[in-house]
Amino acid sequence: MATITCKDFMDRLDSWMGGNPPGDAEAHLRNCSNCRSLIEDLKAICTEASSWRTEEVEVSPRIWTSLRSHLEQEGLIHENRPAESKTTWFAGWLAALPRPALAGAYLTLLIAAAFALSRPMNKQSNQALWLADSRDSTLPLRAQLIAEQDSFASFNNANPVVTASLNKNLAIVDNYIALCEKSVQEEPQNEVARDYLYEAYQQKADLLAQMTERGENNR
Amino acid sequence: MSTTHFVRKQFTRTASWKPMAVIVPGLLFCSILSADPQPPRRQEQHFKVEAHPVVTIHNPNGLITVKAWTKAEVMVISNRASDSVEVDAEQMGNRVDVSTHAASDNVAPDDMRADYQINVPEDAELQIHNDSGEVNVANVLGDMNVETVAAAVDLEDSAGYVTIKTVGGSFQCTRCAGKLEISSISGNLRLTDIHSYHVHAQTSTGNILFSGEFLPNGIYRLKNYSGVIEVRFSPADSFDLSATSLKGKVINEASLTPKSHQQHFYSRFGNSLFGTFNAGRAKVELTSFDGTINILKRD
Repeated sequence: MATITCKDFMDRLDSWMGGNPPGDAEAHLRNCSNCRSLIEDLKAICTEASSWRTEEVEVSPRIWTSLRSHLEQEGLIHENRPAESKTTWFAGWLAALPRPALAGAYLTLLIAAAFALSRPMNKQSNQALWLADSRDSTLPLRAQLIAEQDSFASFNNANPVVTASLNKNLAIVDNYIALCEKSVQEEPQNEVARDYLYEAYQQKADLLAQMTERGENNR
Repeated sequence: MSTTHFVRKQFTRTASWKPMAVIVPGLLFCSILSADPQPPRRQEQHFKVEAHPVVTIHNPNGLITVKAWTKAEVMVISNRASDSVEVDAEQMGNRVDVSTHAASDNVAPDDMRADYQINVPEDAELQIHNDSGEVNVANVLGDMNVETVAAAVDLEDSAGYVTIKTVGGSFQCTRCAGKLEISSISGNLRLTDIHSYHVHAQTSTGNILFSGEFLPNGIYRLKNYSGVIEVRFSPADSFDLSATSLKGKVINEASLTPKSHQQHFYSRFGNSLFGTFNAGRAKVELTSFDGTINILKRD
């Protein structure tokens, strides 16, 4: 298999990170310690990123040094241009980067920003943040649903089977909401529990709409 | 002397038969004219339709049976439980609307009922609302939307885009193809001999049974809050599985190949199972909050 240069490898970085490593890139990686190191670092970033905000994380300075030295080595970035201001240097650096490398760098910057946001927080404050987020987003909905439910204290359709079914299922959904809320309180980061909670609210809203409609039709 | 003979004898003594023969039928005729004209409780109506007709049915309570036939017409046979309800069936272009409504205020619940037997062309599109009772649909290949509160829904041999929504009514689907989207709060969902490429079934406290083919590129999402989710697979099936029960169990009989890449975020919570069965052509997602998920071999 024909060997490729580090620059070619950088061009193929997107498909590599997308889980489809080209064969020639794999061959290059076996022989090039710099690129191998870069890939290891990017993988490490992705792994860390998937668990950000749930654990205390610290970006390794090695990642940045390695990434930077690799880009410099490839001639893709140039440091120490005294004639240019810092902003100009950055703009020039971005302009000089080929598209895949730019995309990779952009992704890295986003991840770095995420790390920067999460770094000062400990696990407890993260949980509090999740919980507060959940409360902020569900409280208005909850209040609206309670108001809606209070507006017709005793639903009574002409058909007793329908009345019984709607009241029974409303009780089921209320219980479901209570259990989901408890679960979200216990594990604020649990997205499944949060999804279930939102769905339970949606079901309740839907049920109340049906009851209102049938109650009005019955009048 | 017999009683009849005695009565006749007494009667002939007091009145003549001739005037009575005129008066009695006359009185009967007048009483018929003065009463409200009520249509018979059983009615049969026919509507000529073109290809892909739409049939809508709104009924508060009763048994609705819809069957496909080969004629290019819709036949509606309605049977009212009482004179307190009226049945309307009318055609608007290629659409036939059937509805039941109260004829007066304060209709007793038991009287507010009508049963329907409806025959439609097999490419008909159906929209059915039936709060309580039962809905049965067979051999209709067009799209359909069924909404009920307590009514059970039974579907056989469908092929279109089917959306079912019940509050407490159960749903059963046999030999259904096409696209299925089912949601309920407490109804049990039973999907057997399914040949569908898209199944999305969700119930809160009901059980879900899926027994059918997992078609290549098909997506099968089954979700409940509590209750049992049971999926039956055959050795020839090919699917990518993710099964998560937050508080319940996941029981699996499939020999899965673990996924090489990183798992979904929420796999850290609850009991989860991820893997590939054969080539992983279909996508199967099973989610429960505290119910049990069974992935079992089909007999």
